[in-house]
Amino acid sequence: MTVREIGIRQVSQAPAIEVEGVSKSFRLYKDVNYTLKERIINFRKRGYDLFWALKGVDLTVYQGETLGIIGPNGSGKSTLLRMMTRIMSPNEGKIHAHGTIAALLELGAGFHPDLTGRENIYLNASILGFKRRELEGIIDSIIDFSELGPFIDNQVKNYSSGMYVRLGFSIAINLNPDILLIDEVLAVGDESFQTKCLNRIARMQQEGKTIVLVTHEANIAASICDRVLWLEKGKEKMLGDSFEVTEHYHEAMRMRPEGSEFGTREIVIDKVEVLNGAGEETTEFETGESIVVRLHYTARKPIEDPVFGFGFYNQMGFMVYGTNTRLRGMDIERVEGSGKMDFCISSLPILDGRYYVSVAAHTRDGMINYHWLDKLSYFDMHSPGKEEGYLAMECDITMTPE
Amino acid sequence: MKENLRRLFDYRELLFNLTRKEVKVKYKNSFLGFVWSLVTPLMMLVVFYVAFGIIFKLRAMDMRYYAFYLMAGILPWNFMAQTLTQGVASVVTNGDLVKKVYFPREVLPLSYLGSSSFHFLLQETMLILFLLVFRVPMTPWIFALPLLVLLEATFIAGLSLLLSSLNVFFRDVQHFTEILLMAWFWMTPVIYPISLIRDNLPAWAAKLYMLNPMAHIILMWQRITYNSPVNGPAAYSMSPEGVLGTVIFSLVLLVLGYVTFCRLEGKFAEFI
Repeated sequence: MTVREIGIRQVSQAPAIEVEGVSKSFRLYKDVNYTLKERIINFRKRGYDLFWALKGVDLTVYQGETLGIIGPNGSGKSTLLRMMTRIMSPNEGKIHAHGTIAALLELGAGFHPDLTGRENIYLNASILGFKRRELEGIIDSIIDFSELGPFIDNQVKNYSSGMYVRLGFSIAINLNPDILLIDEVLAVGDESFQTKCLNRIARMQQEGKTIVLVTHEANIAASICDRVLWLEKGKEKMLGDSFEVTEHYHEAMRMRPEGSEFGTREIVIDKVEVLNGAGEETTEFETGESIVVRLHYTARKPIEDPVFGFGFYNQMGFMVYGTNTRLRGMDIERVEGSGKMDFCISSLPILDGRYYVSVAAHTRDGMINYHWLDKLSYFDMHSPGKEEGYLAMECDITMTPE
Repeated sequence: MKENLRRLFDYRELLFNLTRKEVKVKYKNSFLGFVWSLVTPLMMLVVFYVAFGIIFKLRAMDMRYYAFYLMAGILPWNFMAQTLTQGVASVVTNGDLVKKVYFPREVLPLSYLGSSSFHFLLQETMLILFLLVFRVPMTPWIFALPLLVLLEATFIAGLSLLLSSLNVFFRDVQHFTEILLMAWFWMTPVIYPISLIRDNLPAWAAKLYMLNPMAHIILMWQRITYNSPVNGPAAYSMSPEGVLGTVIFSLVLLVLGYVTFCRLEGKFAEFI
C-alpha cells in the first residue's frame, strides 16, 4: 500500500453515524442445536456461553470524515461495522445513520456466476439498495473502473478472482453513497488497482463523503484516515488523531506475542524463561551469543516417557530451528512433581529480527500434547553486520583476479 | 409493520431483479431452456395418467378429459410445492448474502415466489392453449384465473415467510416441509376427484378433509380450467363458504407469516 498525503479538509460537525452505548453479545454454542430434537433434549441446559463482542461503545462519525477502526482479531471491529449497516442489531444502545450507505463487506457478495458482469452490476446495485435509474449514468464508469473491457458481457463464473473483486469494488465505490463502509477489502487486486482504489477514495474524501474503514493494517488507517478508533476486546481503547492512535497501536502490537496454549495439561509448563549466557532473563540477543530456554514443569501424577521440546519461529511463522529430548537422544523414564529443563544453545547463528519461542511436552509418538505453549515468548536478534536473511554463516571470500 | 412495508417498497427493484435473476438462471445452461418448465408437468401428467387413468380406471368414474383434469390440479399443486420447497430454504441458502449485506430479507422467499409465478403463468397459458386446441368446453370462469393466481400466491407467500424464518433457527423445518408436501399431496384432490372423498368417507372425515386450504384452492383451479358442468358430475364441489374461508385464511396466514418474519429477521445474520 502506498502512503499518500491527503489535504486538510473541512469536516463538518454534523453527525453521519451516531453510535450510542452500543453493546452486542453473541451466544457461542458449544454445539449448535440446529434441530428441534436437540433443542428439546438440551432444553434445560444452557448450551452456550455469552460472548460480548462489543461493550458500551460510543462513537460519532461526522459527515465528510474518514474514520478508521483498528484492533486485533476478535476486537469487535467487524461487528461494529455490521451493526452500522443494520445487518445486525445491537443488544443495547442505538445506532443512527444519516444518508445512504453502501457497505463493502465482501466484494461481489451476491454475484451470480451464470449471469454476465453487466447483469450482475444491476443485481448487485439493487442488493446494495440502489435503483436502476441511479445506475443509468454511472454504469459506464463502473465498467471503466473495473478494467474488464469486453469481458463485462461474459459470465462471471469465467472471471479470475481478480476480475471478480475488481467488479465488486467498482460497483460499490461508483454508486456514490453518502457513507461508504469498507471492511478489510482494500488489499485486493494488483498494485495498480489498489492505487486506483486509494485515489478513488481520496476523491470521495474530497467530495465530502463519509468513509468508515475497518482494517488491521494500521499503516493503511494512518495514511488515509482523519481519525482512528482502536478497539480492544470490544471496548474503545483509544480514539483520536490517526497517526497518534496507530503509533500507540503499533507499539502495543509489538509488545504482544500472538501466541496460544493447548494440551491435556497432565504435564503443565508453568513458565518459560529465555536467558542469556549470564543467566539473566532478557529479550535482546546478539548473533553468536549463547541462549538458554528454560522451562518449569509440573506433573501432578507420574507420566511415563514424556518428551520435552522447543522451537524458534521467525515473524512469518516459519520454524527456524526446533528439537526435543527424543531427537537429542535423551530418554526420560518418567516425571513426577516439579522441575525445570534447560535447553542451551552455545552460539545463536541467526540474524536480525524477532523470533518466537514455542515449548511443548508431549508423548513419545507426539500423538498427545500434554502442554504446548505456542509462541508465547520471544526474543529480538541483533547482528553486528548488515547481512541479509535469517542465518549467520561463516563465509570466507577469496578473490582471484586473472 | 408499516415501516417494514415501506422498506419493502423501497427495495421493490431488488425483488424484481432477484425474481428476474431466478427466471434467467434456472434454465441458463440447459439446451431446452424454458421448455423444461413445460416438460416437467407434462411428464407428471403422463405418469399419473397411465397409473390412475389407465391402470386404476379412474377415468371410468365419469371423468371425461381425465388428462385435463389432472393438468388442472397438477400445475397449481406444483406451483405451491416448488415455491414452498425453495422458499423455506431461501434465507439459509442465501446465508452469505444475509451475513454481508443489509436488505429486507423477505425479498428472498418472495423472489422465489415471483420466479415460480412466472413459470406457472407460462404453464397455465399452455394449458389454455391445449383446452382450445382439443376443444374442451370452457366456462366464463376462466376469466377468474388472475384472481386465483393471486389467491394462491397469497397463501404461498404467507406460508413461505413463516416457514423460512423459522427454518433459520430450526433446520428441521426444511426437512419437515419435504415430508409434509408428500403427505399433503395425497390429501388434496389433485389426481382423484373430490367425489371419491365425499362418497366414501364418513361425513366428519370429509369435513376434516375440507379443512385443508389447498383442497379448496385446487378445487377452484379445477372449476375454472377444467370443470365445466358438461364434464360430468364428479368434480363440482366448490362451496361459497369454502372460497370465502380460503381467502380469509390466506390473508391471515400472510399477515402472520410477514409479522413473524419481520420479528425474527434481526437475528438472521447471527444464526446462519
